Order: sequence, then structure tokens, then C-alpha cells
Amino acid sequence: MNLGGEGFTPQINNATAPSLQPNQPIPQQIPQINTHPNPVQNQAPQQQVPAMASAAQSPELEASTPVTGKSRIESAWGSNPEDMGVAIVSGGQSTGEIFKQEYTGWSGTLNPRWMRNWAIYRHHMLGLFKKGHRPWPLLVKIYLFVTLIGCIAPIFPLLLVSLTGEGELAALFTVNRDNLYSHVLAFFPRNILYYPVAASLLVGTIISEDRTHGTSALYFSRPISRLDYTMMKYLSVASILAILCIFTLFAYYTTEIIALGRGWGWIADTLPIFIGTLVAAFLLVITYTSIGLALSSVSKGAFFPGIGLLSIILGTAIIARIVDTMFQRETLFLLSPYDSLANVGQALVGTEPTFDISWTWSLASLVVINALALYILATRVSSMEVTRE
Amino acid sequence: MSEMVIKTNNLTKSYGNHIALDSLNLEVPKGATGLLGPNGAGKSTFLKTILGLIQATSGDGIVLGHDIRTEGEEIRTKIGYMPEYDALNPKMDAINQVRYSGEILGMHPTIAMTRAHKSLEYVGLGEQRYREIGSFSTGMKQATKLACAIIHDPELIIADEPSNGLDARAREFMLNTLEVTVNQGQRSVLMASHLMEDVERVCDRIILLHKGKLAAQGKIEDLKAIDKEIEIHVWKNANQLEQHLSAKGLSVRREGRIMRISAEMDNITHEILQSASAVGAQVRRMHEYEASLEDLFIVIMERLGYEVKSSEQLLASPVQARQADIPKDYSGVIN
Repeated sequence: MNLGGEGFTPQINNATAPSLQPNQPIPQQIPQINTHPNPVQNQAPQQQVPAMASAAQSPELEASTPVTGKSRIESAWGSNPEDMGVAIVSGGQSTGEIFKQEYTGWSGTLNPRWMRNWAIYRHHMLGLFKKGHRPWPLLVKIYLFVTLIGCIAPIFPLLLVSLTGEGELAALFTVNRDNLYSHVLAFFPRNILYYPVAASLLVGTIISEDRTHGTSALYFSRPISRLDYTMMKYLSVASILAILCIFTLFAYYTTEIIALGRGWGWIADTLPIFIGTLVAAFLLVITYTSIGLALSSVSKGAFFPGIGLLSIILGTAIIARIVDTMFQRETLFLLSPYDSLANVGQALVGTEPTFDISWTWSLASLVVINALALYILATRVSSMEVTRE
Repeated sequence: MSEMVIKTNNLTKSYGNHIALDSLNLEVPKGATGLLGPNGAGKSTFLKTILGLIQATSGDGIVLGHDIRTEGEEIRTKIGYMPEYDALNPKMDAINQVRYSGEILGMHPTIAMTRAHKSLEYVGLGEQRYREIGSFSTGMKQATKLACAIIHDPELIIADEPSNGLDARAREFMLNTLEVTVNQGQRSVLMASHLMEDVERVCDRIILLHKGKLAAQGKIEDLKAIDKEIEIHVWKNANQLEQHLSAKGLSVRREGRIMRISAEMDNITHEILQSASAVGAQVRRMHEYEASLEDLFIVIMERLGYEVKSSEQLLASPVQARQADIPKDYSGVIN
């Protein structure tokens, strides 16, 4: 079935149509013009195919056959006007109706708000694994997979420790303050390569594509509120980041409990550190998501939000470090989400602090950064049009 | 057919000093209605208001029995909106795009998939449903948008420029589909279009907005009757005849030997023939002129102070010109 004019259109070209001679027999079937708008029906036009004369009527062309000046094709198809009388024209046969346009109603019940929101969330999450949902670019999928492998990598030496027993290897890879902290906030590779890049790839088109393709109209002409739309997009990105960051942290911690047979005493000892790390990871996920979505909402492309997020996370960190090195001023660390997260994370996990400024200032800075990002996000989503941008 | 799908009472929407909708009193019954108006007439604002997306400044309105001020969500559940511009993800295939549009209405995924198949079949894309939308022609994209709009069998379909950018065959199919939806499906259609011919083909009623005000509404046939004209083909002394008729106070529109005289009096034919006799003009042909919607539009616009030669001049203009009805710094969005 074709709608865009690619289908075959039966036409009669008057210039080339054979004209009837006065004594010429009238053909039994007149070609019909199908004027029905349905393109499918037009794809099967009734073509007038002159049938070949029956075998009994066709002249035998043998060696002894006298030369008459008729070619084989003329003899067979009766294209010579003299043979028109014996030519058999196939009768118009109905090909049936392939496509019948029929409106079918639906009397089902639409599910409530949570189901609509679930549909948005599901669309974005399943897009990573299945076709037919949000088409995440292949590069993003590969990068997320590599990051996931990188994030669960500490589990493998932990399993090795469970085989080899306590020793130097155990001191390096088992759960402790530094290992938990570095799982979330280690400079390399996690907080420079894994999470910021993954976040920038995730937020690149998450909202901007709805502006570019006009798909915002699809959401807002339906009973989806701006709040639901924003929340579900936010939750989708945050969930994927949480799988990379928080799920792998859980996996690391529980692997030690199971593989090394840790008891309740060990759990009671390490649980506060683990919870502190979880809170730090949670802060990282929401901060990166908030900034990323805000950038995505002000853009129409994928490049600006992606590069913008990396610039804000890593660029401010580099500038703050340069200023600190040259002028011994730490104030700029407050403007860097990366350093603010690190400062708060160190306080929560209880590792050796590397900042002179108080972690409470950094926490306040994170609250302000998130609030500002969410304000921009809310304002920009409110301005998304249903009718025309 | 007397049940009203849209009814507004002094509906006003203003953005600061700018009044986008000015005391609109509309009544749209079941069936197909065309929404017309030049740039900045308030069509977009009107659509957003009845969808419950923006809050009216004053006045009220009912759409499908729901209050536009407080029940926007219920209204949007019952409406199928087909946007003018692309509203499809080019990387998705048609079947999943339509299914998703059903899911975000609250349909169960399995049911949404079943309905997506049916909707795409209905709009003539049954065989193309697994193709990526990015590879679709404009006609196919328009059809996909319509499929998205009708997936939940809405009571009212708002089609914004449904035949925009389509070739003759695709346009014919789209208009036919809308007609079938109205006649066979018993659904209502509110169709905004700048193509008078298309509106006349699908709709039996129109709403004409002008600078946020209602310029005309009603059945097309009834509106056409307002400006009934007598068309005559004149031979010899056409100028004198025109002057003579004008001197009698009749409104004359002339194009060469063809004159159209507004039928303002009962004995108009007698008056014309008398004038022709007086100036020595030959009337070779005389008949009642059947005005098209295009003529009607031009007449109404002329009365409103526009000098237009065709509806295209006013309606088919660049996108920027159409944004005139909302100041840029105003979002005015609720939710």
C-alpha cells in the first residue's frame, strides 16, 4: 500500500492510444480509469492483455510453411489489423478489493495517570535493550555496556580473594572506606570517564529530541502533564545512571558478604560507611541528571547538552584546581559540582578530606546547583509547544 | 447532530495587553467543522485553550462536556490531535510510534499494539507499518500522525492542516479518510486549513476567526447565501452598464465582460435587464452565481478591511508570521 504517490497510476495517453478505424471491430473491453482515491486499489489496475490465440487457431510455422511476410509475433498476437477479428481480448476480471477503508471504533477504558507515566519510563528504559522503544544510538548502548563492565570490575578480584584467602590482595580489593568512596567518586576512571560521559550521552537528546522532532506535541496533546513528562524523563536518565553507579555498588558490597562469608558483625561495622557511600552516589546521580536535563531542555540538538554537561562537571573542576594551585583560593570549588560532590562524599564516607572548605558549604552549593538546574528545566519544558514551536 | 462538541462563552485570552482571543462565543456541533483565519487570528491560542493547555483569562468553555478550565486532562483523553508539523520520531517505525502514542494515553501495551495495527491499516499504511518513519514521504507521515490521533477512537479529532504539503493523490486520500471518519465513524473533526477547497470538501460548517474575534460561524451553505450574486455576461457597453447599475446603488464586481451583481433586492433580474436596455448593452447570459468557500472567505475578509485576492495570500504564509498571536516571552502554560 502506498500513500505518497509512489503507486502506479493508470493513465490513458491520448497521443499514443490506438484509434479505432471505421470498419474495425469494437474491442469487447474498454480500459477503465480507476478514480478511487485508495492508492492500493490503484496499484492493481485492470490492464487489457490481449490473449494469445488458441493453439488450434495459431498458424503452424514449419519449414514448408510459405513465406507470407508475417512475422511470428504478428501471427501469434494478431497484431496485423486483418487479424483483429480473430484476436481474443481477455474479459475484465474483478481482482477484488484489496483494501477497504473501514473505521473501527474502540470502547476500551484508558488507564490512569500512573500507567501513562509508566509507559514513558518503560519506553526509555526498554529502548536500551529492545527494538520498538526509544531508539538510543548504538554508541550510547555500547558505552553504557562498557561502563557497566567497568563498574562491576572490582567484583572479580573480590571473587579471587574469596579463593585465595585473606592477604595483600584482600587489603587492596575488599570493602573499606577508600574502596567504597572510589567506587563512586574516584577521579579516574569513574568520576572522569564513566559517570560524566555516560550522563552526557544519556541527556544529549532526551528532551531536545522532542523539540527537534516536534514529538512534544505527542505528549502534551495527550493527558500528560508537564510535571509527569519531566519526572519520567528525569527518572529514566537517573535510573540508568543509578544502575551504573548504585546497583554496581550494591553488587560489590553484597558480593563480599556472600563470597567472603561476612557475618552480622562485619555488616554492622561497614553498613554506615556503605549507606554514606549510597547517599553520595545518590547525590551524584541527581546532580548529573539535573544539570544534563536542564541543558537538554534548552537545546535542540544532542551536541550542546553533552558537551555542556562535560564542561560544567569537568571544566569547572579544572578551573577551580588551577585557581587553587596558583592563588591558593578554594572558593571556586563551590562552583564545581564535581568538587562539591567529592567534598560531601568524603564527609559522608569518612575518608581523609582533601578540601579545606567545609563540606556543608559544598552541600549547600549542590542544593543550589540542583535547584537552578531544575528551575531551568521546568521553565523550558513549560515553553514546549503543542501547536507549533 | 445538534449536540455541541465545543461551546464557549465570552472566552477571552490575553497576554498582557495583547488580546489573543476576544470574547469568543462559539458553538461547534457534531460533524466536521473548518477553522479558518489569517495569521494572528488566534487559531493556535484557541486550539490550546480548548485542549486545556492554557488558562483562559476570562469566560468559559465546554469541550465534550468538560470544562476547559478545570478538566483539561479529561478533554485531552477524548480528543485526538493531529499537529501540523512533524510530531514523529524519524528513528522509530510507524507501528511502534503509533503504539507508543496509545500507551501514553493510558492504553495497555497489548491493546495499544492491536489498535496501532488497525489505525495504520485504516489510514492506508498497513503494508508500511514496519518501516522507519524517517523514510516516509510527507503523505505517509501525515497519515501516521492521523493514526496516532485516532488510536483511542476519540470523539473529536483536531486536524491542523491535514493536507499540508501533500501531493494530489495523498491529499485526496487524506480528505477521503477524514470524510469516512466523520460519516462512517460518526466522529467529529475540527479541521484547521488554509486550503478552502479542502475545508469545503470535508466540512459542512466553518468558524472564521479574525484578530481573536469570531468573524463568522455556521453552515457553509448558509454563509454562502449571505452574499448571493447574479452573474451576467455582457456584450457591448459593459462600462456604461456597470456605471448604471452602480448608480442604482447595486454592488457590482466586474472582470471584463463578466459582472457579478449582489442580489440585494427581490427584482434584481428585472433591474439588470432594465439597465442593460437603457444603456444598450446585450446580456448574453444570466445566472445565479454559486460562490465557493474561497469567495466567501474573500468577501468576509474584505469587509474586515483586508485587500486580498486569494485565501493563500492570508493563510499560507511563513511560519514566523503565524506566531504573531503569542508574545515570545509568554508561555502561559498550566499543569
